[in-house]
Amino acid sequence: MQNEIVFATLAIITIVSAIIMISAHRPIDSALSFIVTLISVAALFGLMNATFLFVVQIIIYAGAILSLILFIIMFLNIKDENLPDEKYKNRWLLATSLILTPFCAILINLILRSDIALEGATAKNFGTIQDVGLTLFSKWVLPFELVSILLLVALIGAVMLSKRGE
Amino acid sequence: MNVLTLLLLGPLVSAVLIFLIIFLFSKVHQSVYTFLALLGPGVSAFLALFVSYYSYFEKEVFSSHLFTWLHIGDFVVEAALKADALSAFMILFVAPVSFLIHIYATGYMDGQRSYGRFFAYFNIFVFFMLLLVLADNPIIMFIGWEGVGLTSYALIGFYYEEIKNTYAGNKAFILNRIGDFGFLSALMLLFLEIGSGGFDFEHIFYNLVQIDSGMLSLIAFLLFVGAMGKSAQIPLFVWLPDAMAGPTPVSALIHAATMVTAGVYMVARFAPLYNLTPDISIFIAYVGALSALFAAVVATREYDIKKILAYSTMSQLGFMFMALGVGAYSTALFHMFAHAFFKALLFMAAGAIIAAFHHKQDIRELRGIQAPVLFVMMYIATLTITAIPPFSAFFSKDAIMSALYASGHVEIFFLAFVASLLTAFYMFRMVFVLFFTREKKSAQKSGASMIYPMAVLTLLSIFAGLLNFPEIFAGELNISHWLGLAEQSHKVPHATEIILMGVNTLFIAGVIFYTYKKYAYTDAIEKENETSVIANKFYVDAFYHQTVVRTLQAFSLFFDKTISKSLIDDSINAMAFAYYKIGKIFAHAENGNVRFYALYILVGVVSGFIYLYFLLGDVV
Amino acid sequence: MMLKAYMILSIILFSIGVVGLISRRNIIVIYMSIELMLNAVNLSFVAISADLGESSAQVISLIIIAITASEAALFMSLFVILFRNKASLDANLFDMLGDKK
Repeated sequence: MQNEIVFATLAIITIVSAIIMISAHRPIDSALSFIVTLISVAALFGLMNATFLFVVQIIIYAGAILSLILFIIMFLNIKDENLPDEKYKNRWLLATSLILTPFCAILINLILRSDIALEGATAKNFGTIQDVGLTLFSKWVLPFELVSILLLVALIGAVMLSKRGE
Repeated sequence: MNVLTLLLLGPLVSAVLIFLIIFLFSKVHQSVYTFLALLGPGVSAFLALFVSYYSYFEKEVFSSHLFTWLHIGDFVVEAALKADALSAFMILFVAPVSFLIHIYATGYMDGQRSYGRFFAYFNIFVFFMLLLVLADNPIIMFIGWEGVGLTSYALIGFYYEEIKNTYAGNKAFILNRIGDFGFLSALMLLFLEIGSGGFDFEHIFYNLVQIDSGMLSLIAFLLFVGAMGKSAQIPLFVWLPDAMAGPTPVSALIHAATMVTAGVYMVARFAPLYNLTPDISIFIAYVGALSALFAAVVATREYDIKKILAYSTMSQLGFMFMALGVGAYSTALFHMFAHAFFKALLFMAAGAIIAAFHHKQDIRELRGIQAPVLFVMMYIATLTITAIPPFSAFFSKDAIMSALYASGHVEIFFLAFVASLLTAFYMFRMVFVLFFTREKKSAQKSGASMIYPMAVLTLLSIFAGLLNFPEIFAGELNISHWLGLAEQSHKVPHATEIILMGVNTLFIAGVIFYTYKKYAYTDAIEKENETSVIANKFYVDAFYHQTVVRTLQAFSLFFDKTISKSLIDDSINAMAFAYYKIGKIFAHAENGNVRFYALYILVGVVSGFIYLYFLLGDVV
Repeated sequence: MMLKAYMILSIILFSIGVVGLISRRNIIVIYMSIELMLNAVNLSFVAISADLGESSAQVISLIIIAITASEAALFMSLFVILFRNKASLDANLFDMLGDKK
């Protein structure tokens, strides 16, 4: 019961902050509410005993990426006139939501009707660094190594892109 | 290398080399072309004499298998040549006359633009003509048949700068097409009937008896339609006078000596077929008689020197068809043989006159020319064509007359008799108007390359008759024995034949005298009425124009304006316009903004999702 | 475990991300919408993983986070270039894919 209450609270926080994120006019507002979303998602990870991912989410997302975004926003020194003039923002949001409603409804309907909830017994060391680490380095070595190459490519690409054109 | 292959390919190689030189080098000395142009036909002429010699004396049949063209199941078409007696006889005059006219043409075309192109076409023509006469099956023969038509078209429109000549070429080509349609249909029918038993001439004639008589008559008739087109017989003759738009050597070679005789050759080649269909044969004789008479009548009021000769060609071809129609095949071929020489000679003399007189062709303007050599040659040729003894055509035409008489078709004999008298009239009219005048004009001298071939042809015109000396003069009818065609012999008693000859010659002499009185040293020619029915060629051209051409034109206009434009074009344009409009609309959607593309994807995914949900809703 | 609840939450977050991606013109918000969608997917992965007691799904989430990090690096440099060129964050200005009108 306790879990359900915590979950409901976190879910509401997540959704509300996500909505604020996509509807805020200024990017700094969006970014700040996105931090709230990310942290509550991290809390949801924690609620599921996925402790390692909880940590990673906090450190990489809320820590590194979001601070990068905030840094860029500051760095670019965005003024109001630089922002797009989104006169029909609310209409767009409404229209897209309407388009997406059936999609959502159908998916939720399907999930409610399905019998995916196995309620299986959670292993003792589930979500620990040991557990995730063992799986990562036994089953998923190749993708892991590929990700390192991807990071390298992104690094070089970022450097090349931000270089001032000669 | 096989003799026949070499004989056939000589002119082709020449033509290809000339074409290559034209395409590869811009400036080449004329003598290069001359050498190449004479090489191929020269080799052919020599080999043709060789082949004919062996065919005549040793009864040898040459054949050459080039390659297998088609091999579909049981159906085999071989590209094969065969020089049996008939083919050997044909090449005996086709190749040497071609060679002589080539020599003549080097003089006639001297210094003209497109010298090389002319000889390339000319050599290709010789190649196709040889292919036509040497073919061992009708399909190869048809290739040669089409090929000579094509080169004839190219050469009639040789001076293409003047649109009139191109039209003349078109006319010849289109009318020949009608004939070719007949020929081709006949071949198809023949193939349907007996194609399975082999399709070379030997097998075809062997299997002819399997065809029922109605179909056989149809085939024979359609074949003759082809001959009508190629040999300019009524009703498909109107192209021949217009074909004189080409250079004179072309007229001499193609439209007098060789190509137009292809129809005669073809009927003679299919002699076993025509022997089985007497009705069609008589029909051929009638067509020939009418053509001979018609052409002779028209020629009496013609002023263009080349057109007179063109009509006389048509008339002489009519004589040949008459002989073919009554089954006297070798007689017809003999006349064709003699005709090749004297008609080529007439054309070459005419060409020499035209060339010497600044390319004027009207005999009224050419009056009084001073060219003794040309005069002698032309006079001899004219005597030959009017069948004065002892020139060659006397024997051939007389043989035709007696065959007609003996066949019992008096009306045909009578028509032929009138036509031959008219022949004397219009030919001597031309000669007298040209040469027998009080005032004289001097002419440029013709070159040696033009005179010598003409001299050779003059001798041949005189002496070619010896080859088929009739029995009444203790001759042996050598050509008839050589060819050995399945003839229907109509023997007349010697006395009758001599009477016929005598009466004929007497009448002709009378006509010549009358003509002399009328045209020599008088200005009767100037007073002739140019608006008469005859001078307008019986309005045949106008009639064709009004009926066939106009009707087709109206049809074409209808199809062009209504069907093509309104129905097809407009509907296609409307479709295109609709696509354009729809494209415009979608171009707005395609605005380059990735956000919008994501939206479209989203709409698509959601609709797919909904569809799948309701489709599979029951299953889940 | 409330797997269904987690899944539904994941769907809702994902949809919010899609809505943001399509309807906003501010490229920074668009970027964050993409991140939100990835996070929603991560959430569902982790929920399934927890439900099955199998840690492979967590590893995939981990890899997704790593990919997100590299994506972030590229996005940031793109922001810098785009802003430098047009002095605006309007996504509608960057329509080089279409016909020039």
